[in-house]
Amino acid sequence: MAVDITLLFRASVKTVKTRNKALGVALGGGVDGSRDELFRRSPRPKGDFSSRAREVISHIGKLRDFLLEHRKDYINAYSNTMSEYGRMTDTERDQIDQDAQIFMRTCSEAIQQLRTEAHKEIHSQQVKEHRTAVLDFIEDYLKRVCKLYSEQRAIRVKRVVDKKRLSKLEPEPNTKTRESTSSEKVSQSPSKDSEENPATEEHPEKILAETQPELGTWGDGKGEDELSPEEIQMFEQENQRLIGEMNSLFDEVRQIEGRVVEISRLQEIFTEKVLQQEAEIDSIHQLVVGATENIKEGNEDIREVPHL
Amino acid sequence: MASAAAATAAAAAASIRERQTVALKRMLNFNVPHIKNSTGEPVWKVLIYDRFGQDIISPLLSVKELRDMGITLHLLLHSDRDPIPDVPAVYFVMPTEENIDRMCQDLRNQLYESYYLNFISAISRSKLEDIANAALAASAVTQVAKVFDQYLNFITLEDDMFVLCNQNKELVSYRAINRPDITDTEMETVMDTIVDSLFCFFVTLGAVPIIRCSRGTAAEMVAVKLDKKLRENLRDARNSLFTGDTLGAGQFSFQRPLLVLVDRNIDLATPLHHTWTYQALVHDVLDFHLNRVNLEESSGVENSPAGARPKRKNKKSYDLTPVDKFWQKHKGSPFPEVAESVQQELESYRAQEDEVKRLKSIMGLEGEDEGAISMLSDNTAKLTSAVSSLPELLEKKRLIDLHTNVATAVLEHIKARKLDVYFEYEEKIMSKTTLDKSLLDIISDPDAGTPEDKMRLFLIYYISTQQAPSEADLEQYKKALTDAGCNLNPLQYIKQWKAFTKMASAPASYGSTTTKPMGLLSRVMNTGSQFVMEGVKNLVLKQQNLPVTRILDNLMEMKSNPETDDYRYFDPKMLRGNDSSVPRNKNPFQEAIVFVVGGGNYIEYQNLVDYIKGKQGKHILYGCSELFNATQFIKQLSQLGQK
Repeated sequence: MAVDITLLFRASVKTVKTRNKALGVALGGGVDGSRDELFRRSPRPKGDFSSRAREVISHIGKLRDFLLEHRKDYINAYSNTMSEYGRMTDTERDQIDQDAQIFMRTCSEAIQQLRTEAHKEIHSQQVKEHRTAVLDFIEDYLKRVCKLYSEQRAIRVKRVVDKKRLSKLEPEPNTKTRESTSSEKVSQSPSKDSEENPATEEHPEKILAETQPELGTWGDGKGEDELSPEEIQMFEQENQRLIGEMNSLFDEVRQIEGRVVEISRLQEIFTEKVLQQEAEIDSIHQLVVGATENIKEGNEDIREVPHL
Repeated sequence: MASAAAATAAAAAASIRERQTVALKRMLNFNVPHIKNSTGEPVWKVLIYDRFGQDIISPLLSVKELRDMGITLHLLLHSDRDPIPDVPAVYFVMPTEENIDRMCQDLRNQLYESYYLNFISAISRSKLEDIANAALAASAVTQVAKVFDQYLNFITLEDDMFVLCNQNKELVSYRAINRPDITDTEMETVMDTIVDSLFCFFVTLGAVPIIRCSRGTAAEMVAVKLDKKLRENLRDARNSLFTGDTLGAGQFSFQRPLLVLVDRNIDLATPLHHTWTYQALVHDVLDFHLNRVNLEESSGVENSPAGARPKRKNKKSYDLTPVDKFWQKHKGSPFPEVAESVQQELESYRAQEDEVKRLKSIMGLEGEDEGAISMLSDNTAKLTSAVSSLPELLEKKRLIDLHTNVATAVLEHIKARKLDVYFEYEEKIMSKTTLDKSLLDIISDPDAGTPEDKMRLFLIYYISTQQAPSEADLEQYKKALTDAGCNLNPLQYIKQWKAFTKMASAPASYGSTTTKPMGLLSRVMNTGSQFVMEGVKNLVLKQQNLPVTRILDNLMEMKSNPETDDYRYFDPKMLRGNDSSVPRNKNPFQEAIVFVVGGGNYIEYQNLVDYIKGKQGKHILYGCSELFNATQFIKQLSQLGQK
């Protein structure tokens, strides 16, 4: 177990002070000790870099607090039926999403800016390394906070999808396990999902909506109160056919949904990898260029040799 | 409740590695316990250490882990360091004169924003005042945020193995302790260094042991001093390091651990022994210390065009860490088993790779076959899982490569020096079974082994025989050894040692054992793998107890044995200061720490691990003042024999 001897240290400081006073030794400290310290501080380069770094961190902290604060309300799915407290409309949610995205963009731009500036003025290798590491930490922090945002966004999208599925006219128990795949593979770019899914979800709804009036007009067109048994049978068959069609459409849509989610996740992974490789490819490019030059020079040198 | 008690009992025997790592992490977190918070703000700091600190940290925390703790730079104390404004600096150094001077210089030069000073072992009051003086002169007193005594002056290599130091090991080496011209004051210094480290060890472990040691050896001196130090600390109620809250989990185990202090001199054959288990072989044959092995890759048998520069050999170094599952599983296995396992791992890895490749080709069908679409949605899921498991696969590949390289290097040495022959022969000598080949034959054989190997073999023979060989025989051996190129100085020393120990007590016997060569061709040879072990015997180790293990067994199980009956007994918690040879405690111990004064090696460690495996609920920790392999030990013996 470690032992805290800070107090012992402070006591030693006092001892040394009194001893030096007694001996009459003139120190940098002494009567003007405290003032000296203040003076000592101000000319020291306070570090533009670190104060700006801390600013960025506090911004990200604000974003994080903002997200955490509204998280519960944001996720709350059945807000329409709940009491006033904790209700959040979709427009509010969209607003939060937009704000968060703008914020994140500005933060990452600020980090990039700091990165380019950090290396300009400083000559020391150690300070450069230190600053690079600090910026890496800040970026990592931003990523973690963004993860918060994307997690809750993904939950929201999933709930919307589920809701739409439930609100369809067909009450047939769709216990397919597609649901599990689409919920697990939560993507980082849910915006794409939300665009596509509502589009595909709306389509079957529209078809249903269209067939309804169709049946209605047929019924009205006949102008009879009762339908003959053949007609009833025909209508029933038609119903069944339509139901079958709807179901297969529905299945396809589910499949597409699942695949799109997975594909977007894969794309995210690939983008990451490509970005990682970018730096390496750049350096390889440099090396190759250097190597070509060297070979050129080598060839020239060799050509000169017979002339000697 | 019962499960909580069981959990804490398990934690009480928690590995020393965990405890030291936790202590280091807390120190790096500005001396506040470290809690992982996924949305926490980043804090950054700079770590400054001296070589001692470096040796302690490097087996425990990787550079990545340091980064995770927020350390942007880690620098040596005695290097050129530039001022970095607005950064707190954490120091982890020994409280020596030069370190303190350098720290004072840092304070004067205002290198950092704030200073967190951590001393590896306790700092003296006067040195603390030196720092206070410098801080006052530099008006930096408020910048010194915290000062701590860490009591971490030992190096942990495994969950259950520790070493005292690496930097100044010459100070506490076998040679330093056993040389004839040592003065009393020098001996005192050596003993104090050892005791300081052991004290730090027990503070970190959080337990006060019961100490047993043999009489008349350096181990006894260490025991007396350690007992005194522990006693003083316990009596000082205000500053005791072993109070209830600091003990933590240790409080729950009702048993105190047993500390067995042995001197290297009870068994000189084991450090010279050729070995057959993976970790011990790597230590013996390759350049391995602080869990890092350095390999020189040979350039291969390629034909280089005439006149070209000779190819430089690649130097590679690998860290063998607790994360490396293969290493953890096989470090104590006999070498042929290791070779087989690497093969198996390689095969399973290839199977997984093929799986991923197959998915890739299926994906290629996507646009062509409509009928395959129904399969595809399933495959998208498979592809995602394959992609996300890629990092794991890559890591596995890296480990397989690592172990293939290391095992190949070891195998080359085995084949070149015929180490399997030596191993078998030495086992037979040490267990006093009949020898099928004469010793002289092996020594004179030019193909088998380096001169050093032969010297080792002969020394083991000389140490283990009951009767010294006759003068004529000895001359014959000496001549054969000199012809083979050996230096005879170690023999000089061993002769003296043997004479001395004969006076003191009977030489230790090594128990009976047999090694059974596996006559059947192993799978390795059949599959035509890289590890072509033809001509290498596939030896199977039978469990035998080395002298140190035997002594531990006697003391831990409270068995009566003439060897250990007159060991001294110390209990720092007892009020009466005198030791009695009669142990108060009659129950067998659950936890024991074996410490070898004068040096130890992985063979002993592995032997203890094997011994304790069979016993449920018991734990052993192994420590030594320095860790040497046979080469280093022979060098020390040679220096001793020269005097």
